[in-house]
Amino acid sequence: MANPAAAAAPEQSAKAKKYPYYIEKPLEEGRVKQFLDIFAAILRHSNYKPLLDIYSRVVTRCARCAGGCQIYQATGDPEDIPCYRSNLLLGVYRRHFTLGGWLRGRILGDPGLQESTIDEMLDAFYHCTGCRRCNLECPMGLDHGLVMRLARNILSEMGIVPKALLVSVREQLQGKTANTSAIPAPAMMDTCEFLEEELADLTGQKIHFPIDREDVEYVFFPAVSDYLLEPDTLMGNAAVLYAAGDQDNWTIGTKYFDGINYGLFYNDAILGRIVEKEIAEVRRLRGKKILIGECGHASRSAKAFVPTFNGGEAIPVVSIQEYTFNALEQGKITLDPNAVTETVTYHDPCNLARSGWIVEQPRKILKSFVKNFVEMEPHGAENYCCGGGGGTVSLDEVHDYRMKVVGKIKAEQMRATGAEIIVAPCANCKKQLKELVDYYKIPATVVGLHDLILRAIRFPEKNGAATSEETYEAGEIKENSPVSV
Amino acid sequence: MHDMLQFARGPLFRLAFLVMALGLLRLVILALWGIGQMIYRARDHNNPYSKIVKTTLTWLIPIQRLHRIRPWLSYSSFLFHMGLIVTPIFLLDHIHLWRASIGISWPGIPKTAADALTLLVLAAGILLIGIRIFNPYTRRVSGFMDYFLVLLILFIFSTGFIASRPYNPIPYETSMLIHVLSADLILLLAPFTKIAHCVLFPLVRMTSELAWKFPPEAGKDAAIQVHGEVKPI
Ligand code: SF4
Ligand code: SF4
Repeated sequence: MANPAAAAAPEQSAKAKKYPYYIEKPLEEGRVKQFLDIFAAILRHSNYKPLLDIYSRVVTRCARCAGGCQIYQATGDPEDIPCYRSNLLLGVYRRHFTLGGWLRGRILGDPGLQESTIDEMLDAFYHCTGCRRCNLECPMGLDHGLVMRLARNILSEMGIVPKALLVSVREQLQGKTANTSAIPAPAMMDTCEFLEEELADLTGQKIHFPIDREDVEYVFFPAVSDYLLEPDTLMGNAAVLYAAGDQDNWTIGTKYFDGINYGLFYNDAILGRIVEKEIAEVRRLRGKKILIGECGHASRSAKAFVPTFNGGEAIPVVSIQEYTFNALEQGKITLDPNAVTETVTYHDPCNLARSGWIVEQPRKILKSFVKNFVEMEPHGAENYCCGGGGGTVSLDEVHDYRMKVVGKIKAEQMRATGAEIIVAPCANCKKQLKELVDYYKIPATVVGLHDLILRAIRFPEKNGAATSEETYEAGEIKENSPVSV
Repeated sequence: MHDMLQFARGPLFRLAFLVMALGLLRLVILALWGIGQMIYRARDHNNPYSKIVKTTLTWLIPIQRLHRIRPWLSYSSFLFHMGLIVTPIFLLDHIHLWRASIGISWPGIPKTAADALTLLVLAAGILLIGIRIFNPYTRRVSGFMDYFLVLLILFIFSTGFIASRPYNPIPYETSMLIHVLSADLILLLAPFTKIAHCVLFPLVRMTSELAWKFPPEAGKDAAIQVHGEVKPI
């Protein structure tokens, strides 16, 4: 980790970017054949071929998408235009996997994929955050988020993955602790106990973190890093579940308790294996639903891909924000409208908001107890990424890139609101925004949604949370509408 | 000259039109086949069709989207397309040709309207090319065809325009021949270039959405095909 530049540099083309990644495996020769073999295998088994077919036919190269991408807007470098980036891969597809492209290549003497193209792709695709904002501006409807995933998928099968992502996933899928932060289950339970004591001091209520309880409604998977970094978020989560009467109706499993899924960022096989771990844990505990904590990509990877890997009768997935919103709508929780007097703004995590899935719910929750709520512009489905999307937030070696380039617009947006509190319901966004606030010296604090709820939540006089029976009928959540997330 | 013109707008035109129609039809069938394959391979069939239709329609007539970013590019492109679709189909001279050759016809637009639209296409097209050349980042993503196709269209419209003037500097038949030949060329090119978006457009967003519904075993199967096993991480 010490010298990222040195690790990635030897094979990099002359034009190596300013912000290289640390790659565990040294880059080898013979990558062109490897790349094409893997590309071919993926095209054969996946659904990407029809996608690339139509994309490579209609792409009009109008560069309108440039206006949507925050990377391009910060650098002004034509190579950061989404379409340029995607064309790196579309070009390889055309040249090596279509008859027309092959013929044209033959006639024009285009040799096709080169080692240097692979270097360029490594830079281009791991620098994109996959926020899919550019998709909003493409008249043709190209989704560069998908192209980016495919490119990373190919690269990752060659062993080209930023090391921090790889190491986390290795621990999650093969390690003893089975989570990305390598927290042993006993340590997680200790943390929960400690949080219970904190909650008792704070609220005077006996709020529990139920461990390994069977036959419950909700099995809870937060971004596991919350156990280390975001105790207030977790306490807020538990407090809401308690106040809404689901105290005995949720649980944390000791065999698997991590919501993080970096597979969403770079590899289909890994995405599936992680989703399957969640499913297996819910099955082990005979739970009914997957409850995801405050985390954008954790929520989306479960919401969108549990049905993919679990089939038609998939386990329903609920995000804690949907849960809290429903509890509030049904009058099950009370939030003190005078609790928060500071100016508050809300950052939309791309993975929650781009599809319009979770946009209004958190705002309604916030507006119910925050006096001074302001919006960033643009927001909602058209938000700007925090600048740490696509897994880049976990890569320390590109801290400067996240601050100076991708996060630049976000910093300006945050400052422009004048908000004292910035709410970001996502472990990744929170980390990135906190760093941005530091870096740009913005006078604001970044917190999770439930951190703030914890400040505002009020409990009935007697220690009378509703019983489980009552909640079963009242607590139904609509989760089976068609998803596009 | 007369014979050549007859040939260009008779058999050659018919051939070009046939190539275009069959070529585009092939692309649509391939795209639909692809979509069918995607649905068949996916395990999750809960697709957001209404959202797909809605966004596709929004972009079919993207009036509310144009001013948001790159307004010059967006407006000129929009007007360019409008003129490009309306003029050739509703020009009275073209309708006469259709009636003469296959006996069907439809109401046309007045000549002055057609002239105005032609000038609009020319102006918008020149602006589009200008943006491509002078805007450094659009230039970076552009390839030969991106210029060539617009130039070809401008050429077709301007020769058509000149040919139909009473004070034509070039002999009528010559300008008409150039007009028809270049029009034939663009029809021939349509299925093999990005012009294909004229028929594929409605299917792109559908394909994008469906592509997110992965076949469950795809990642694993691809890894096994390459490495012979699912390798440890
Ligand atoms: S907006 Fe779409 S068609 Fe235009 S350059 Fe970008 S990706 Fe290509
Ligand atoms: S997905 Fe986001 S970061 Fe990537 S090219 Fe599109 S707008 Fe830029």
